[in-house]
Amino acid sequence: MKKQIKTGVERKQKKGILYSYAWSMPSLLLIALMVVFPIAYTGYISLTNMNVYHWFDFTIVGLENYWRALFVFDSGFLSALVATIVWTVVNMVLQLIIAYVLSALLNIQKLRLRKVYKTLLMFPWAMPGYVSILLWKTGMFNTQFGLLNQWMEKLGFEAARWLSSDLSAFICCTVVNLWLALPFMIMIMDGAMQSIDRSYEESALLDGANWLQRTRYIIVPAIKPIIAPAVIITVFTTFKQFDVVYLLTQQAGAKTGSGFHTILTYAYENAFITNNYGFSSAISIIIFILLIVFSARFQLREEGDL
Amino acid sequence: MNRKKIKERVGLAALNVFFILLCFVTLIPIIYALSVSFNGQNSLLSSDFSFIPKQFTLDNYRQVLFGEEIIAWFGNTVLLAISTVALSLSVAIPAAYCFSRRRFPGRRAILKCLVLLNSFPAILSMFAIYRLLRSFGLINHRIGLILVYTGTMAVFSLWNTKGYFDTIPTEIEEASRIDGADNFQVVTRIVLPLAKPSIVVTALMVLIYVWNEYIYAATFLTGEQNYTLAAGLYALQATEMSGSWPVFAAASVTVSLPVLVIFFLCQKHMTSGLTAGGVKG
Repeated sequence: MKKQIKTGVERKQKKGILYSYAWSMPSLLLIALMVVFPIAYTGYISLTNMNVYHWFDFTIVGLENYWRALFVFDSGFLSALVATIVWTVVNMVLQLIIAYVLSALLNIQKLRLRKVYKTLLMFPWAMPGYVSILLWKTGMFNTQFGLLNQWMEKLGFEAARWLSSDLSAFICCTVVNLWLALPFMIMIMDGAMQSIDRSYEESALLDGANWLQRTRYIIVPAIKPIIAPAVIITVFTTFKQFDVVYLLTQQAGAKTGSGFHTILTYAYENAFITNNYGFSSAISIIIFILLIVFSARFQLREEGDL
Repeated sequence: MNRKKIKERVGLAALNVFFILLCFVTLIPIIYALSVSFNGQNSLLSSDFSFIPKQFTLDNYRQVLFGEEIIAWFGNTVLLAISTVALSLSVAIPAAYCFSRRRFPGRRAILKCLVLLNSFPAILSMFAIYRLLRSFGLINHRIGLILVYTGTMAVFSLWNTKGYFDTIPTEIEEASRIDGADNFQVVTRIVLPLAKPSIVVTALMVLIYVWNEYIYAATFLTGEQNYTLAAGLYALQATEMSGSWPVFAAASVTVSLPVLVIFFLCQKHMTSGLTAGGVKG
């Protein structure tokens, strides 16, 4: 009798498990098709010499593509990787500092029009990203009718080609990226600062702490845990930035001559412009491994208990 | 006392001036595009430029709405976006519910794997997906793109809704079960209404993703009449931008308007939805 009950429960449990799999199946199947399959296929192609000359008759060449990416400096991958790291660090540092200062200013108590300013400052976030980037490209940086060159001419300088050299392209991309990314960061920091108990700051003020000390010992430690997830997400999106660099400088048929690449635009160029699929796939897999290591370190820990 | 007050007032005024300037500087690219889009074609290259259009005209908008195929693109985008959102939600919600409420072997491993897999940038999958879709004959087919977009956003949708389901206490469900509700009723009558905020945010994120995605659309769709707005605008700027910057500006404004409206209507949900979700991009 007892045994019968037990098997009944077991059967019910088994049925529950089957149901769970069945209900999750459509979602997992789509993920398998559109996320897992491409990764596996890219891994396979990365071991071959598929390119424009070997479109159908490609053969397995082992780790040659990886060797070329990692140890042949001329291949350009390592310099793109270094550029991407510099890009990420520069962008994150500027973003955090500017967002911090602006949200601190927005949180000054007597500022009445705060809401209006915040709404206006959210516009770059609300606009479709590619539209904004293209507007920057033509509206601001264009050599003939870009606003920057119109101003330069008015001030008596020569018109500049903003996007054509490595350094100025890097700076322009950084400006656009900050423009796009700052609203989100300001929003997060502003929310975090509002959650700080005012009494801490007031008592520090009474104890004679100056602005720097209050920032360092009270505000930063208080907002750090709140903004951490958003900052980590932003580090990832900055590292994986494609649109800004591609649309401003690397568009197929409209390259501006700048050599600044993030690893994603570099991989894209090797796949779709020079059609070096094997090599591009190897780069993709290296990027994937890097990202997995990062996200295992930062994102999974954030999730904590599942 | 008085002196302190004056000092405070001056500081506050300076702060306000600073923010007004900042907002203006921030909005310059948008204001400029707006002004160009309302401006007569020929006044563009004149040196005495101002932010207020000198020869106000709606010609550029007329050209956008009737000259280009923007209405067809708009229709394509709406169709694509709605189908993708519907498909995304209908696959994500049952899966998220199972992952949130039930315990089955492989659950934790799958969840963790999904986070890691999601870090593979979608753009790098394009070549593999192209080959996959070609073998099914789905290139230049809406269904192909719907599958791609749903698959790309599937991990996000699953995690985001699952995270919210986790916060709904199970006691409510148990109570309704005792009252005789079956599984289906529990989900549709109890859980979904409670999870509305996260479902709205998930739907919005998918919608905005589809609305703004240009590179898959431009690569997988051929023939102008099949384009989405994003692909169309991308093609527009690549082919004829130098000739028609005012038209392009007008097109940009037109395309951005719906997104701006949706964004500011749902602004409150956006931040909480994004930060609560934890997995983005």
